[in-house]
Amino acid sequence: MTVPDTEVRGEPGSFRDPTNRVFYADGEVLRGLDARAAEDWRALAASDFFPPLVAAGKVCGTEPVAAARFPAPDGRPWAAVLRHERIPFVSHPYEWTFGMLRDAALLHLEVLRAALAAGFTIKDGSAYNLQWRGAHPVFIDVGSFEPARDGEPWAGYRQFCQTLLYPLLLTAHLGVDFQPWLRAQVDGIPAEQMRRLFTGARRLLPGVPTHVHLHSALQRRHAAASGSEVREQLRTAGYSRGLALATARRIERLIRRLRPRRVRSHWADYRDTCTYSAGDRAAKERFVAAALTAGPPPELVLDLGANDGRYARLAARHAGYVVAVEQDPAVADELYAALRAEEQPRVLPLVMDLADPSPGGGWRGAERAPFARRARADVVLALAVAHHLAIGRNVPLGQVVDQLADACAPGGRLLVEFVHPEDPMARRLLANRPAGLFGDYRAEVFDRLLAARCRIRRRVELPGGTRTLYEVVVGG
Amino acid sequence: MEHLAYLDAGSGSLIVQAVVGGVAGAAVAARLYWRRLTARFRRRPADRP
Repeated sequence: MTVPDTEVRGEPGSFRDPTNRVFYADGEVLRGLDARAAEDWRALAASDFFPPLVAAGKVCGTEPVAAARFPAPDGRPWAAVLRHERIPFVSHPYEWTFGMLRDAALLHLEVLRAALAAGFTIKDGSAYNLQWRGAHPVFIDVGSFEPARDGEPWAGYRQFCQTLLYPLLLTAHLGVDFQPWLRAQVDGIPAEQMRRLFTGARRLLPGVPTHVHLHSALQRRHAAASGSEVREQLRTAGYSRGLALATARRIERLIRRLRPRRVRSHWADYRDTCTYSAGDRAAKERFVAAALTAGPPPELVLDLGANDGRYARLAARHAGYVVAVEQDPAVADELYAALRAEEQPRVLPLVMDLADPSPGGGWRGAERAPFARRARADVVLALAVAHHLAIGRNVPLGQVVDQLADACAPGGRLLVEFVHPEDPMARRLLANRPAGLFGDYRAEVFDRLLAARCRIRRRVELPGGTRTLYEVVVGG
Repeated sequence: MEHLAYLDAGSGSLIVQAVVGGVAGAAVAARLYWRRLTARFRRRPADRP
């Protein structure tokens, strides 16, 4: 989207640190800095550690621009303005898989260690400091670097625990998916809640005695203590930069050892039991490839119900960026591991239930944008997904069409597969539901609903005779 | 220097980091608590009216 020259739009998620703000103008991502933050930026840009992190792609690309063009919200000029590289698709930690959250946490610690070694620190420790370029995490919060004060522990440790370490411990030690916990609490999981989950022998699991129990006990004990007094006491007791580095290394070692504990899921078996014939699969791939190569290459493709990422990878060969949405955390995590091994720069896997997409979160429900507002794709793939929503989740067929079409940018295209009620997979879903409940679930009804909302460009029956593929144009 | 961190780091969350840092950290935590303890005894006579 292009914003007119004079229009400056603030990022609703950027307000907690009053020394700097992210905003958008001219289609660019910018960060305004006050005098103090500008001073920190100059020190950072001249440091030995920061430019190599940017060059390695671990911190988002950043360069100064003329500050006078962009007035601050109070009308006064910023002391400095930075331009950041644009992240292809903004995602939230509760949409990431276990492996993604772990790699994001490890990158955060790596950046922290590099900063500490060079006499800098990071003001906070939030999972929201990170974003993704395909299967590669990137640290985006350039405004949070500042020169370190000797003898001070990391101010972001509590936030790191709440938004990164604790969610990982939940899944690694208890086999509990962390995503709903992070989605429900923008500040993450407090130590006190974790303490109540890790009782009995679970107290002794790696990382739990110190980061959870001792941490929670000390928080309670020192709840009324002044932070600056405690800092001073720690400094005189001999807390050093070396100790801060040792702490970061220990947390890193702990996180490297964590593995998700979970049983094999239904969806992980899905592709093994899925009844595709080789002929159907080949025809489907030809259909998708033809749609993606017709016309200019799409910038953003959404693959809804991505499973093992077969079509997301196919799309990535013809598109700028692909977001592969999968509802099962274990399946999405396998996909992430595979994409990471392939060093895939253009496919972002996300965990999300399409029948319960991410809502707006945080302050005023606007700090973290809902998925529906972020999802505006040039091409949406909805292959073998509509029947799960319509039959599996009782969503009226017309609303399924609306949701899929809404994910397209104006003039965007939707590639959608309708699985006929006679298809073995649809029969299996229908067998679990009372007879007659889904009388409207018919090919001609779907066809009519699609035609009412979109312009049907192509319709192909798969050789098996029980599935139809559509390419439709939405609005525009 | 005045501390201008926008985030409340939490006093307990600062102290626990000494312990997490291993043996050297535990020594710092021990010194911290020893000083807090002895400071309490030192202050007591002066506190009396």
